[in-house]
Amino acid sequence: MWNGPLNKIDDYRYEIPKSYKGIDGKLSMRVPGMIYALPEMLPSIRKDNAPEQTANVATLPGIVGRSLAMPDIHWGYGFPIGGVAATEYEEGVISPGGVGFDINCGVRLVRTNIKFEQINKSIIKELTDELFKNIPSGVGSEAKVKLNRSQLDEVLQMGAKWAVEHGYGWEEDLEYLEENGCMREADASAVSDKAKERGMSQVGSLGAGNHFLEIQKVEEIFDENAAKVYGIEKNQIVVMIHTGSRGCGHQICTDYLHVLEQAVKKYKIDLPDRQLACAPLKSREGEQYFKGMACAANFAWANRQMIVHWIRQSFEKIFKGDAENMGMKIVYDVCHNIAKIEEHEIDGKRMKVCVHRKGATRSFGPDSSEIPAKYRSTGQPVLIPGDMGSESYLLKGTKKAEEAFGSTCHGAGRAMSREEAKRRWRGQEIARMLEEKGIYAHPASMIVMAEESPDAYKDVSMVVNATHGAGLSLKVARMVPLGVVKG
Amino acid sequence: MYRIIEHTADIGIEAYGKNIEEAFENTAKGMFSIITNNGKIERKIERKIEIAREEDDEMLLVDWLSELIYLHDVEKLVFGDFKVKINDKLVATAYGEKYDREKHGYGIEIKGVAYHMLEIKRNKKGFVIKVLFDI
Repeated sequence: MWNGPLNKIDDYRYEIPKSYKGIDGKLSMRVPGMIYALPEMLPSIRKDNAPEQTANVATLPGIVGRSLAMPDIHWGYGFPIGGVAATEYEEGVISPGGVGFDINCGVRLVRTNIKFEQINKSIIKELTDELFKNIPSGVGSEAKVKLNRSQLDEVLQMGAKWAVEHGYGWEEDLEYLEENGCMREADASAVSDKAKERGMSQVGSLGAGNHFLEIQKVEEIFDENAAKVYGIEKNQIVVMIHTGSRGCGHQICTDYLHVLEQAVKKYKIDLPDRQLACAPLKSREGEQYFKGMACAANFAWANRQMIVHWIRQSFEKIFKGDAENMGMKIVYDVCHNIAKIEEHEIDGKRMKVCVHRKGATRSFGPDSSEIPAKYRSTGQPVLIPGDMGSESYLLKGTKKAEEAFGSTCHGAGRAMSREEAKRRWRGQEIARMLEEKGIYAHPASMIVMAEESPDAYKDVSMVVNATHGAGLSLKVARMVPLGVVKG
Repeated sequence: MYRIIEHTADIGIEAYGKNIEEAFENTAKGMFSIITNNGKIERKIERKIEIAREEDDEMLLVDWLSELIYLHDVEKLVFGDFKVKINDKLVATAYGEKYDREKHGYGIEIKGVAYHMLEIKRNKKGFVIKVLFDI
């Protein structure tokens, strides 16, 4: 239970004052903290120590504006999950803890021309089983394609473009990915042999845990205009992918935590928590981490790109049609574990900063040059995955999100531990319960079903309503799952 | 000896040992019980591991467990027994076999070893290690 001060600013904003950790001390906060939430979410937010982590992040050298937490905030390592922090480009630090182990864990949404009325339960089952067969998933899952070292280096440098050039997807896909699926700062020489070895057999695999593929139905439209621009309408079938950079990204994070752990001493940085290990952005260690992190991000975009290709193939097989004729375009692809160099207006000044989004999504509004021309009048699509049995959201980015360095929430977050979930339910019960709701699930194991039970997660609609109310992102559509592939 | 500790979204190990080597061995055993959902692991393959001494034991522990995660991920091995010696460097042998979902059970994919709340403590009986994993 966290009993620190949360001063209400308005119905959606709560501030941790800058004085909370004392003034003038080595570990004093350099900026205030701010948590976005609905009032009824505060008891659960106080329950774990996440607000303390928001305050800890505020002690990082070079942090500007505020140390932020999105409504899906929960206890993480160093940074809270749902944490957003911007550090000054010239004088600030970069922290792998502000990105996480699963670098560029993200979400991609693929649309179709298929309507709910055109399909039935047996087609959904067939399609889900076909996806399960075509896309490797689960603990220790290996990809169908094994790359050699020089091919992997190309993936790390080029991201999704590598996949498209090798026949996985369409040229136009790249336009609809955050960063067009490639961070140019990537430098494969900043990635260890170990990380590359792990990557070689895993590009094009879903992984395990909360990662998933879902065949979804658009259940509700909140914003007709934006939905139209995104190519989304009621009762349409869409596919959502949630996965990241697999073992390659995990190893890059592990390697650099080690490097930055030593850099903390070298640069004499005082930290309240070891997991906040960081280095000045302009130091060799900081620059190397950023290059390596960008490689992992590119790996994740290539990974999701290959998965999209197999999704299209699966649809082609089951519907005996052509993916292009079925309108299977990418709506968008977002990353929610990442650090980026961006420009933002902070305290009335235009500043170049490093924005850390750890369990937070970019939410750029209309007129932003970083988003596809087609979406520029609307704002970028923001994709919020729910959990297995509930619902996911399509939102749009806003200019208001600029107060949060162009960021919003990323998902629901667990409310209950896996062990607790397993004690409460059996996998078969969950499968039956989902079936009653019209959802067919193909998990890698029944244990995963229990662990990932919908009731083990927080309510994603509350999280989305909080960011909608605060204006960080606005609701466009709500999707419900029909078929689920779970690693 | 070890036990599993759980937070809402996280999982970890509390392991014990007469000396620090035994505590390192038990932490690794605990970690593989999470990965395999407590399946029995036979001694069919062995791997020698050497890790340079770190500034502190906590970092050495992270390196040790990270090395095992790496071996598991790349070679698809699971380990059930360990012999660890720590002098001027850590020298260990890990005994195990190829991972088999049916035989070993389906556990949790570990992404990394956290420094957060990492603890190595000495008491009258020996050593206690507490470590969390990002999953």
